[in-house]
Amino acid sequence: MASGEGALAIVTACYLLYLGVPIILLLIGSVGATWYNTLLPQGFTGDWYLQVIADGSFRRAFWTSLQVCSLTCALAALVGVPLAYVLNSAADRRLRAATRVAYLLPVAVPPLVLGFGFVLVFSSDALPFLGSTWVLVGGHLALTLPYLISALVGDMRHLALAELEQAAASLGANFAQRFLHIVLPSLRHSLLSGLIIVAALSIGEFQLSNLVAGFLSRPYPVVLLQAFYGATGFACAATVILLALALIAAAAGALIAGSAPAARGISG
Amino acid sequence: MTAAVDLRSVRYHYPGTLAGVADVSLAIAPGELVAVMGPSGCGKSTLLKLIAGFLEPDAGEILISGKSAAGLPPQRRQIGVVFQSYALFPHMTARDNIAYPLRVRGVPRREREQEVGQMLRRVGLADRAERRPPELSGGQQQRVALARALVFKPRALLLDEPLSALDAALRVGMRDEIRHLQREHAIATLYITHDQDEALSMADRIAVMRDGRLLQVGTPKDVYQRPVDAVVASFVGQANLWPGRMRDAATVETPLGPLRIASDHGFSPGAGTTVMVRPEGVVPGRAPDGINQFTGRLLRDRFLGSLRRYDFDTDRGPIAGETPISNMFDAVHIPPVAVRLLPPFDPASMSTAT
Repeated sequence: MASGEGALAIVTACYLLYLGVPIILLLIGSVGATWYNTLLPQGFTGDWYLQVIADGSFRRAFWTSLQVCSLTCALAALVGVPLAYVLNSAADRRLRAATRVAYLLPVAVPPLVLGFGFVLVFSSDALPFLGSTWVLVGGHLALTLPYLISALVGDMRHLALAELEQAAASLGANFAQRFLHIVLPSLRHSLLSGLIIVAALSIGEFQLSNLVAGFLSRPYPVVLLQAFYGATGFACAATVILLALALIAAAAGALIAGSAPAARGISG
Repeated sequence: MTAAVDLRSVRYHYPGTLAGVADVSLAIAPGELVAVMGPSGCGKSTLLKLIAGFLEPDAGEILISGKSAAGLPPQRRQIGVVFQSYALFPHMTARDNIAYPLRVRGVPRREREQEVGQMLRRVGLADRAERRPPELSGGQQQRVALARALVFKPRALLLDEPLSALDAALRVGMRDEIRHLQREHAIATLYITHDQDEALSMADRIAVMRDGRLLQVGTPKDVYQRPVDAVVASFVGQANLWPGRMRDAATVETPLGPLRIASDHGFSPGAGTTVMVRPEGVVPGRAPDGINQFTGRLLRDRFLGSLRRYDFDTDRGPIAGETPISNMFDAVHIPPVAVRLLPPFDPASMSTAT
């Protein structure tokens, strides 16, 4: 047993190292003055960060990403909760299976394919919206919604929400009361954890964004690609900012989720 | 008096299956507790869903306080339901759970608090009012569920195997508590259970169900002592059941040999029958007159505290018995009054009941 546990610890450590090293190098590179043909950069500077912050296209991309991310989260919550509810309460088992396949499809389809589809649809004369922020939001919504709905539907089953609703109905609650008093509060944990995934995916999304974004509505990852044609330090600093952006989005979500009164998780 | 709940030839079957209920008629009087018992899948929970309004019958009629409930959604039926899982709202405290039916009815806060406080005291949870369901024990959750189902003064109370999730020791105590609350509120109650002890000890009447049909409805004593057939006999209490044929008015042939029976059974000589003897009807020791006496040996002997349950092995088969006496014996006898005759055995109907 001891040797097995030791081997497991080594494998885990190696994997963490494999995950951690690029991030550590990024952090080091972002404050290194020069980095040519050496293992580590030489000198220390905060200039790269100042340069990224001073760069107008990066600044605009930063705000675009935040904007797209917030809108995607808001729309995902608005669309996802009712959709998950309908999916879960559909009486017919075959209908449930079919809709499940349908809503999980965007996970299987590469974002690139979806992106080409968007290009075709939104560059037509009828829908000349390619390049607008809303097309970007729409794309991100399609890509992230399956993850949110999976989290919600899983939670609905786990909580036996259908039975809680029956109980509420027998106690006199009509549909609106059941939805507001029982369904929404019961789902708050999975909704928030689902939205953290949505936010993280939206902030980091590149494939589809690169195809459908307009010049003035490019999100951060798309602009970031340009950075790698320039100085290494600048690229590192720009990437660290993306990382921070993603972490802040996740942390904000987690904080909101954590501040919600813990109803589950306490064993009785 | 108008029945609180009146089922008239109610039929329902789940689409695409054979399960459901068929032609069920049952009236529950105000204040009465009717236990519905039967093996799993017999339709007893379906009956509850139909009354609560979670399902609509395919045929027949359900009257609640004398009025047809057809098309009435659950929230307008005024029927309290306690679910097997309790279905307490996990994000609400015990107090909020109990207050919920009053809240959705728009009862003013002051009045609501008063009634909920009273209910909490009545179920002994005044000091646990601010806890959420996961912080309560199984028995406490059960009490919250009961209080929540009673606080809005429903016209009937439906309990779906309410004690099945509790420890054996707690279950007996909760039986008395449920019965006490039910009596106090004088509320018509349908109590679904597969536990015969629960049904026998709590119910005013027992309804035995199988394959979606009511086999017998009667007082616990009635159903126990005069089951309509072998299925009911085997499901309610323990029973020795043997196929028999009448030799004459006072004797029936069984695999154990001829048994003397008391008169007044309505079977004519030559007729087929099922012979039922409850274990407590089997008496250890020899009969003074030698009637219905069997010699042999004790096969399995289970000590149950105040009594023992045994299988007595005769050379023609075993006899199950129950006795408070603790000494050994090499003979048992069956007084003729302890022998009951039921309609002939239908092996097909027994296969799933035992």
